[in-house]
Amino acid sequence: MGAQQSVNILMVDDQPGKLLSYEAILNPLGENLIKANSGREALECLLKTDIAVVLMDVSMPDIDGFQLADMIREHPRFQRTAIIFISAVHLTDVDRLKGYERGAVDYISVPVIPELLRAKVSVFAELYRKNQQLESLNRELEQRVLERTEELRESEAQFRSLANSIPQLAWMADSKGNIFWYNQRWYDYTGTTSDDVRDSDWKMFFHPDHVDRVGESLEHSWNTGQPWEDTFPLRGKDGTYRWFLSRAVPICDAIGNIVRWFGTNTDITERKQAEEALVKSERFAAMGRLAGIIAHEINNPLEAISNAFFLLRDHPSLDEEARYYAKLAAEELSRIAHITRQTLSFYRESQRPVPVSLSEILDNVIELQSRRLRLNGISVDKRYRSSAVIQGFPVELKQVLLNIIGNAVQAMPQGGRLRVQLFQSRERRTGREGMRISVYDTGDGIQPEHAKKIFEPFFSTKETKGTGLGLWISKGIIQKYEGSIRFRSMRLGKGHLTCFSVFIPAAIVPQTTPAAATQFA
Amino acid sequence: MAAIGAMVKNKFVILCVDDEENPLVLRKFLLQKAGYEVITAKSGLEALKIASSEAIDLVLSDHLMPGITGTELALQMKLEHPKLPVVLLSGMNEIPTGADAADLFLSKVEGPDRLCQEIAAVLNGSPRGTI
Repeated sequence: MGAQQSVNILMVDDQPGKLLSYEAILNPLGENLIKANSGREALECLLKTDIAVVLMDVSMPDIDGFQLADMIREHPRFQRTAIIFISAVHLTDVDRLKGYERGAVDYISVPVIPELLRAKVSVFAELYRKNQQLESLNRELEQRVLERTEELRESEAQFRSLANSIPQLAWMADSKGNIFWYNQRWYDYTGTTSDDVRDSDWKMFFHPDHVDRVGESLEHSWNTGQPWEDTFPLRGKDGTYRWFLSRAVPICDAIGNIVRWFGTNTDITERKQAEEALVKSERFAAMGRLAGIIAHEINNPLEAISNAFFLLRDHPSLDEEARYYAKLAAEELSRIAHITRQTLSFYRESQRPVPVSLSEILDNVIELQSRRLRLNGISVDKRYRSSAVIQGFPVELKQVLLNIIGNAVQAMPQGGRLRVQLFQSRERRTGREGMRISVYDTGDGIQPEHAKKIFEPFFSTKETKGTGLGLWISKGIIQKYEGSIRFRSMRLGKGHLTCFSVFIPAAIVPQTTPAAATQFA
Repeated sequence: MAAIGAMVKNKFVILCVDDEENPLVLRKFLLQKAGYEVITAKSGLEALKIASSEAIDLVLSDHLMPGITGTELALQMKLEHPKLPVVLLSGMNEIPTGADAADLFLSKVEGPDRLCQEIAAVLNGSPRGTI
């Protein structure tokens, strides 16, 4: 506050002479002195001006001093206005003075001692001034609080819009790790509302296999104040889990105490899938290379040994026993030749795709299986609804269908029904036109735990009988046609109904020449 | 040995190419037993040299060899002797690019009987076989 401001002193008396003498006494204080000749005039003045001190004579004609004081006190604006009565000391007057509970009230007895009056007025004027300063300071503080609140509200709004615009799920936790805020994406992803999760633990969205481990790593960070990072699946509103990279960093106050944690969860499902697919395709490629090496390293000596035994078998110098041994060795060698031919050999086809009738190939494959169909007591139901021709390589398409139909037949050693459907179809996912071949069997079905591995190389349920490459290679061939191969297996009565379905788009012509191939084992 | 083969006119002469000794010798005996005259070469270059001086009816070559490969040999043979049939043998499980140059590309696992059948078919002027 700058130089001392003068305050208003209201002097009320019906006698102008007294007013003049008060004026003379108070002038040295340097305050504004206002004169009123009556209670009414005093009230008018009070309403128009801010008065610090009212100095009034008790005995006045129309409204006396006490009446005026009552009126002043009733008004909320004047409750703190100081009042100094000037009166001859009567006991009754002193009693009445005690009735004013609030506000500054004092009296001066007549005859007025100038120093006393000046001192009293000066004290009240000073009090008023201080009060005013305090009030103005208060107002200023209130204004600053309002401004800061607005700033905070703005910064909070900015933070929220930022937190909601990022692709991550975000949250804040107190220093002990209790989460008190989530961004909108969290609610959208988990399908919850702020009311739902207010008192619940966010661990309920963790994948059960990860709750303990992640809980421990979180606890460790809460306790040590070290930034937290972990990768684990979180459950979405549809009940499926997606992988998230989750991080939390501590936010500290000026002296380094953690006040809260800010955390994010970044969806890395796609990245993870791509990585897994890459690993898988690298594994397949490595397996392909390995198969190539094995093929070369086995087939070369195999040919030489086969030729050697071919020459030895009928050699005239051998006696019957030796010839018998050579025959056994040649037979065992043919077993090796058989397995490498089935798994590691190639099939030569025309270099360009040719028109292929799928119904002809299906008939051909079923014919090849006819002996086993008869022996196992399997009935065949052929439903060909299209005679359309596609462009492709007949041998590899035959190989695919021989794998699928052969598997179906092998799944029914105790008999059953085989249904083979061929029809023109539209792929639901892509809307492409093409041919669909569906092969149903009533055999052993596919165990759920096998379902994921069924197209992987070297996966077989047939123990020694299968190479585990049939469906893997079939899938590779169908992918070359940009088609798809999938299966379903469900319980049906006491048994199972299994369907393998191949879709080949009509417009797609495979460009590459056939590579590694195998026959159904 | 080459001179003997060329002089016997009633037998087909096969030029057998392989960088590995044992398979080459065994293949030679097999083909001789099947009634052919056999000349051997241990590399593609040697085979090309022999083919330019001897009367050959068919070239039977391994594919994967140091120096020039079977497919490269087939290509060169066809340039120098367009009518000379070339059969390639391979232990690999992929048909290499350029295999088209040969009249037949055969897997080694097919065994001696099949090899003899296919060679007879090629020599008898059968259309390009498919295995």
